[in-house]
Amino acid sequence: MEGRDDGGGKVIGLIEKATKSTAQEVDPRLLKAIKSIVRYSDSEVRLSSQTLMELMRHNHSQVRYLTLFIIDELFMRSKLFRTLIIENLDQLLSLSIGFRSNLPLPAPPAVATTLRSKAIEFLEKWNLSFGFHYKELRLGFDYLKNTLKLKFPDLQANAARIQRERQEREMKTKEILRNKFDSLRVSFGLFKYEIEVTIKEIKECMEIVQWRGDDGVPLAILDEEDFEEIRCSHLRQIRLDSLKQSEKVEETGENRIVFDVLREQCKLLVTKHLISVQEGISLLIRVDVSDNRTRDSMLKDLIDIRNNILAAKKKWEEAGFTMSRMTDIHGNEETNEEEEDIWEEDDGKVKTDSVKNVAHVMRTQQSENSSLPSSGEAKKSTSEARSNKVSNTKKVGSSGNSLRDKLISEAPVMNWGSQLTNWESTTEVRANYRGLEIESHWGRVDQDAIIPADKIAELNLQATVYREERTETPPCRASLKKGGLCQRRDLRVCPFHGPIVPRDDEGNTIIQESPLDESENQTSSTSGTNQDVSMDETTSDSDPNQLARQIAKEALKNIREKDKEVVRKRAKLVKVKVKEHNHEVLRGAAIASTSRSNAMDDEFDRVFAEKKNKKQTFSTRRKKTTAKDRISQRLFSNRVKGTNPQQLAQGNDEKCRDTSANQW
Amino acid sequence: MWEAIKDRETGRIRSNSFANRFKSRRILSLQLSNRKDFVSPHRGSVNSLQVDLTEGRYLLSGAADGSAAVFDVQRATDYEASGLIAKHKCIFTVDKQHENGHKYAISSAIWYPIDTGLFITGSFDHYLKVWDTNTAQAVVDFKMPGKVYRTAMSSMAMSHTLIAAGTEDVQVRLCDIASGAFSHTLSGHRDGVMSVEWSTSSEWVLYTGGCDGAIRFWDIRRAGCFRVLDQSQTQLGFRPPILKRTAVGSKLSSVAKSSLGGQNRLKTLQSKQTGSQSVKGSSSAKASVEKSRQKRIHPGMLSTLDRATAHYGAVTGLKATNDGMYLLSAGSDSRIRLWDIESGRNTLVNFETGRIQTNKGIQLDTSDDPALVFVPCMKTVKAFGMWSGRTTLMLRGHYESVNTCCFNSNDQELYTSGSDRQILVWSPGGTVEDEMVQDEVAEDKDNWSD
Repeated sequence: MEGRDDGGGKVIGLIEKATKSTAQEVDPRLLKAIKSIVRYSDSEVRLSSQTLMELMRHNHSQVRYLTLFIIDELFMRSKLFRTLIIENLDQLLSLSIGFRSNLPLPAPPAVATTLRSKAIEFLEKWNLSFGFHYKELRLGFDYLKNTLKLKFPDLQANAARIQRERQEREMKTKEILRNKFDSLRVSFGLFKYEIEVTIKEIKECMEIVQWRGDDGVPLAILDEEDFEEIRCSHLRQIRLDSLKQSEKVEETGENRIVFDVLREQCKLLVTKHLISVQEGISLLIRVDVSDNRTRDSMLKDLIDIRNNILAAKKKWEEAGFTMSRMTDIHGNEETNEEEEDIWEEDDGKVKTDSVKNVAHVMRTQQSENSSLPSSGEAKKSTSEARSNKVSNTKKVGSSGNSLRDKLISEAPVMNWGSQLTNWESTTEVRANYRGLEIESHWGRVDQDAIIPADKIAELNLQATVYREERTETPPCRASLKKGGLCQRRDLRVCPFHGPIVPRDDEGNTIIQESPLDESENQTSSTSGTNQDVSMDETTSDSDPNQLARQIAKEALKNIREKDKEVVRKRAKLVKVKVKEHNHEVLRGAAIASTSRSNAMDDEFDRVFAEKKNKKQTFSTRRKKTTAKDRISQRLFSNRVKGTNPQQLAQGNDEKCRDTSANQW
Repeated sequence: MWEAIKDRETGRIRSNSFANRFKSRRILSLQLSNRKDFVSPHRGSVNSLQVDLTEGRYLLSGAADGSAAVFDVQRATDYEASGLIAKHKCIFTVDKQHENGHKYAISSAIWYPIDTGLFITGSFDHYLKVWDTNTAQAVVDFKMPGKVYRTAMSSMAMSHTLIAAGTEDVQVRLCDIASGAFSHTLSGHRDGVMSVEWSTSSEWVLYTGGCDGAIRFWDIRRAGCFRVLDQSQTQLGFRPPILKRTAVGSKLSSVAKSSLGGQNRLKTLQSKQTGSQSVKGSSSAKASVEKSRQKRIHPGMLSTLDRATAHYGAVTGLKATNDGMYLLSAGSDSRIRLWDIESGRNTLVNFETGRIQTNKGIQLDTSDDPALVFVPCMKTVKAFGMWSGRTTLMLRGHYESVNTCCFNSNDQELYTSGSDRQILVWSPGGTVEDEMVQDEVAEDKDNWSD
């Protein structure tokens, strides 16, 4: 190592300085200095390669280790250095790896092992980067790897393996996507149809609700005679605002069912359909299939559907009907489960029963849309019926033929209990549903015992005990001589003032058109939530030309009677059949009836005898009623309290019930 | 190069010399070829290499795992790194799995000199087999008395198809492919025969070198060997002196010119001394020529002459130059000696060998125009000037000792093989096309990031 005088040779000093440390790494500043010197001068490169090779012969592993680091740094950068080093590659390898038995690595052994592993690593790196250009590198690598069987880190193979694994995973996902795509393609039509139906329903529900909001309130305002014309722009503004506000429909007891439907459909749309549509879109974007055309068309369809859904969502959000509200309501449902769940139960009943009954019901009521396309659209029909009812309320002032009322009147009221959770379910239940290990000293226990569904139904059979309803007897309200009204409460006849009739505030009698309405009024006078009814009543009370109204009502009634006649004729054929059928069923039921039921029968008789307003047909038919019918009747009478019976509607209701009730 | 072409165009130099000049330049620039790889199928050290004599295209290799393989030297089977590296895979191989493959290491694999339809392998399992190249089936096999060390066929034989086989046994046997039997058994060596070489000037003359250190010349038409080379019988210079009495040879090695006279005297003195010790020792060159003539006349040699040795130790390699005038021998004494065939004397060229593998036969090769000898010297291959003995090239690439060198004069390529199972190609470097390709790939550059 002859030091050079001509400016060069600096690198020697630097290299020697760098390799004299005991650190694990070469000092980066020194390394940088070495590199910057070597970079600009070939002679320095030569000199440094010589120096480094000499240092590699140093009999200490630490020096060799650091030297190897510098060699690696320069090797990866300078071509000249590479060629110089590769001329002596076998020496370098034997000095750094020590594969020759006669030239083992020098002490200390710990550094020697790191030197060896580092050298192997470097060799592989060099071979990867420059192996193509230097046969010697390839040879050395090959020799160490294949002849001496040294363990290389095998970077390339690892990378290849990772790459391969990734490819396999991609292939798998692709396959899955393709399968999904196929299944989507198969079910696409149905899927689309479902969503369309849902959107349509929502739209219709919205229309109903909106219509009411749009039309109802302003009408009411306009109907008021004393409403002066709005000239002031400020007032107009207020009115417009109120109109706008009125677009946000308040949920009332009346349109509650529409809201329920709406809510349910919205929930379905948002939670199920929207998500599945999004999934479908992402699937179609990701999937790679040969059939690009179908994919594109499906994608287009899906995007359209999504836009439709979003539009519908926007619409109902504009209408002030938000999901949060829905969730709120559902939250409420859980807090006061008692009410809501019973209601829902009723609703479920409606759903199931209405499917069968709707056709009949709709036929009997002479509404505009008597032709119903299918019983599958029960929901829709209920909402339409609802709209009919609404319109009826407006125009005629009677909302008797409400399907909901009808159904509610028929629906049994059940006590809250666990049996409601598996209502009408036909699943079998495991006897040991807790999964406990039960040992019995009576013998072996069948862990897989199953209770059949009909047995479950039998076990869940609810016996209801009749409770006499607490009706509030209205006061007599006849005017007394001493002033004020008679406060005596008798059922029918006041010992002082004769039969109890409805009276106004002064104690004068109000002329009633039928005793039925009278009694209904009596029972329902306490409840009066419905605005329309109360309005009706107030008008009927206050209006002086009551007679004219009654005449008009009777005329209307006559017309309806005629209509009913037509319907009846139409239904005659059906009735004959039904009668035959009923005969058989009733006979069976009569045989099956027990003494208990007879006793109950008597009780019912007593209760219903009090109500004289019942029709003759009903009373005759009462003889043949079975337990089920009686329950429904009782429920009806209970329901009467909860619902808002109307004078005309009640009669209609009963007729409707009769027609539907005489079929089993 | 362009000047030489211009000179050739103007007729200033002859076409032959132009070609030679070109070739010699290429040969002198031999380096490890980056662009040509033989994918070695061997799992043991490769003991034998030969390029076929007819086309110069097929390389036959025999290895210690009992396998022999044939490579196409000119056409690569596939390429790597965008055509930069040509991979030559073997065309076929016969190994232990072959139904009549060799059980033990193949020590020697040579081509049939007439065409490439046959090749011959000799193995340590005592068998010598002749293979049909096209079907890769053994067609003839000869059971030898011991391990076969070396086989040879005469490249210029017109009237015989004899395989000379040197074995563990002291006798050299000549196997006739035509008859499938031993035609000759040549006795004379006192130990196994490590190297066998046919003369390149006469189809009847065979040279054998034994583990006893003797090199014997045989004329297969006669009984017994007709000459035993004696390392102490020397002559100065690589040509026998034209004038018998001239102390100083008219044509001298350019190398030894400076100390010519003294050296010569010294050598003659030595030879005198050895001559006086021996019965027939003569001090003059003429006497030795007479003696050799006598020997040729007398088929059975005298026992005193018979004891002469060419090397101290075994003769591990023999190679006759292509002009048929000189014989190179390598010995386990790590010497290469150049013998004048005509006179049978050691020419005293000092080859600067380091160590030479001692326990195994090695294969030397020569190139003509720069007269070079390629000698495997442990892990390196050295090219010596044939007349000067100076190292002109040192080829380092093998990681274990090199066994064979095989020079392909058609392409001026050198193939070497060693115990590291590799077959390396040394090709002329620095040619124009090499640089062009290098530019195309343009990856191997300086990469100073900081």
